[in-house]
Amino acid sequence: MTGACTYLGGELLRRLEEDARYSRVLALDIRPPATAGKKIEFIKLDLTQPTVDSELATILERHKVDTFVHGAFLSHPTHAAEWAHELEDVGTMHVLNACAGVEPRRLVMISTTLVYGAHPKNPNFLTEESELRGHRDSRFVNDKVRAERQVQRFAAEHPEVEVCILRFAPIVGPTISNMYTRFFRRPVAPVMMGHDPLMQFVHEQDAAFALLKAVESHATGAFNIVGKGVLPYTTVLALLGRVPVPMPQLVARQVSKLLWATQLVGSPPSFLDFLLYLCVADGGKAKRELGFAPRLSIKRTILDFGGIGPEDGATDVARAQA
Amino acid sequence: MTDEPDDEGTDDEWYGDADPRVPDATAWPDRDLGFLGSDYDGKAAARSDISGPVHSELEDEAVLRELERRVEQQRTPAFPLDLRVHLPLEGLWKRWRALAMWGRSDVVDDFGRDPRATARWEWLFEFLYTRWFRVQAVGVENIPAKGRALLVANHAGTLPYDSAMVMHAVRRDHPSRRDVRPLVEDTVFHLPFLGPIMNRIGGVRADPANAERLLEKDELVAVFPEGEKGMGKLWKDRYRLQRFGRGGFIKLALRTRAPIIPVAVVGAEEAAPMLGKVTWFAKNIGIPWIPVTPTFPWFGPAGLLPLPSKWYVQFGEPIDLAAQHGPEAADDRLLVNKLADQIRTQIQTMIDGLLGRRRSPLLAAFLG
Repeated sequence: MTGACTYLGGELLRRLEEDARYSRVLALDIRPPATAGKKIEFIKLDLTQPTVDSELATILERHKVDTFVHGAFLSHPTHAAEWAHELEDVGTMHVLNACAGVEPRRLVMISTTLVYGAHPKNPNFLTEESELRGHRDSRFVNDKVRAERQVQRFAAEHPEVEVCILRFAPIVGPTISNMYTRFFRRPVAPVMMGHDPLMQFVHEQDAAFALLKAVESHATGAFNIVGKGVLPYTTVLALLGRVPVPMPQLVARQVSKLLWATQLVGSPPSFLDFLLYLCVADGGKAKRELGFAPRLSIKRTILDFGGIGPEDGATDVARAQA
Repeated sequence: MTDEPDDEGTDDEWYGDADPRVPDATAWPDRDLGFLGSDYDGKAAARSDISGPVHSELEDEAVLRELERRVEQQRTPAFPLDLRVHLPLEGLWKRWRALAMWGRSDVVDDFGRDPRATARWEWLFEFLYTRWFRVQAVGVENIPAKGRALLVANHAGTLPYDSAMVMHAVRRDHPSRRDVRPLVEDTVFHLPFLGPIMNRIGGVRADPANAERLLEKDELVAVFPEGEKGMGKLWKDRYRLQRFGRGGFIKLALRTRAPIIPVAVVGAEEAAPMLGKVTWFAKNIGIPWIPVTPTFPWFGPAGLLPLPSKWYVQFGEPIDLAAQHGPEAADDRLLVNKLADQIRTQIQTMIDGLLGRRRSPLLAAFLG
């Protein structure tokens, strides 16, 4: 798999290591993953290099790769937009070039529901058939949209490869770090005055479980991986005990531009649209075809992320594992 | 402490006699108590074992407290200035969370209806329904006790009071107190403050996908096919139904096999008679027009309050389109338009009937 150092990558490596059905796991990334094991073999691979595709093809050929997981995507926006474009959009092209030659049995791609974009015309539940509108002025989202379009084209051209795209709702949890967790870890959060869209999250453990399911199954196509239920944005803030700062749209955009330009916050101005409009997806298809149903409701996910346990202080995941 | 009478020796019974094989706990040289001063270093403790009473209870407590503090320190990260110890931030934060959760519940349904918020606004609807508009609802029993149905109603007024009253009528007067999910036009749904409130009390953005999903879940859905045109009717056009959209509600009913219940609302036009509308500057603040009513721009926001007109709401007999047409009929555009017009005519007839019941045209609008 690529992107072995991401949260999902590490979790997948750990689960595959424990699973007797898999004999060998290749972890491809620019640095060794934190998860080590007997089956795990680390190969240094930089997807931004110009000839990485033939290098990758050699690796796939030599190890006779059966299932390829493409997860080398950024979890938070960066100011190095050129590099991000090279990694996500062009990196996906390299991966597909290699896969076109070698043709592994299965290709799993990690994407997000942000590719649908937050738009005033979005229905309450976006399905997998909904258009990938991407997001105006957001390179973070639009690079992922372009990568996903490439994978869809690849799937159409290579019907013998099982291509599966997982669109994860924003993943939150006590250990993962991404744009949303960084945003919600701040003590104050902006609120677009008078707007309160519904939000949706998926717990990190649920997300890792879904990825494992996708690797195991034979289902093809795109799947929304979402948590149970939705909550209004301000209720999420209230549950976490964050202080909402209501701002009129014009002010919020200017403040956000300033903070982003000075690199004080990790969310670009275009993210404010996600605080204005709905971007909620329907996970019914994943349940029917992939057999994945989330275990934790959104409230428990939020409380677990915030480290706010019930009276006994134990978090839900700790109790679920016990 | 020593003045208190001893309990009946219950403690001794509970703990039993000391085991002679176990060395006395107090005899352990405690090298960790140096912090209490030179008297409490190990030697002193050991010495005190030999000679007479060990510690007073007060000193015991001090030791215990200090040990507790150290354990606590081990657990919390060592800041140069430990804010958590010196400031009651934890308590403040807990209070803040409780305060922020006031009036909202931590579980909403899929479309964002918040039961606690709904209950919070209930009194207002009850007041509007019984005291302000004095709504008379007839035919509520035409709504099925369970199962899906599509309520189709006329629309009027600058603010959607009519959808709120239809919702409240069914919740209040229907034997099984069903909840109606009104579909709200985009322009209203994305209004600041009003939009989220409508969403919390059950409103859903008018989108075919949303409506279909709700009907598949066997909910009651209310649509106002006139939409924005209905709300933007001028006073001179009152109670003249506008075009019924593009017949989307018919397609919806055919596809989901839901019966249509025509609803006529009379009184909403007089509650906010629109004398004219100003489109200048309206687009800049995100609304299609600025209404001009006898009260609105003149009295500021208070002018948006409705006039106390007398309302009638009539629920008609259910029309089961699915009995005559299959789901494939939804693609027959001519048929859809014809059916939409039939429903429209029927609602217009119901409205005219209700209007005829009023005694005089204008005064009756307020006195009933």
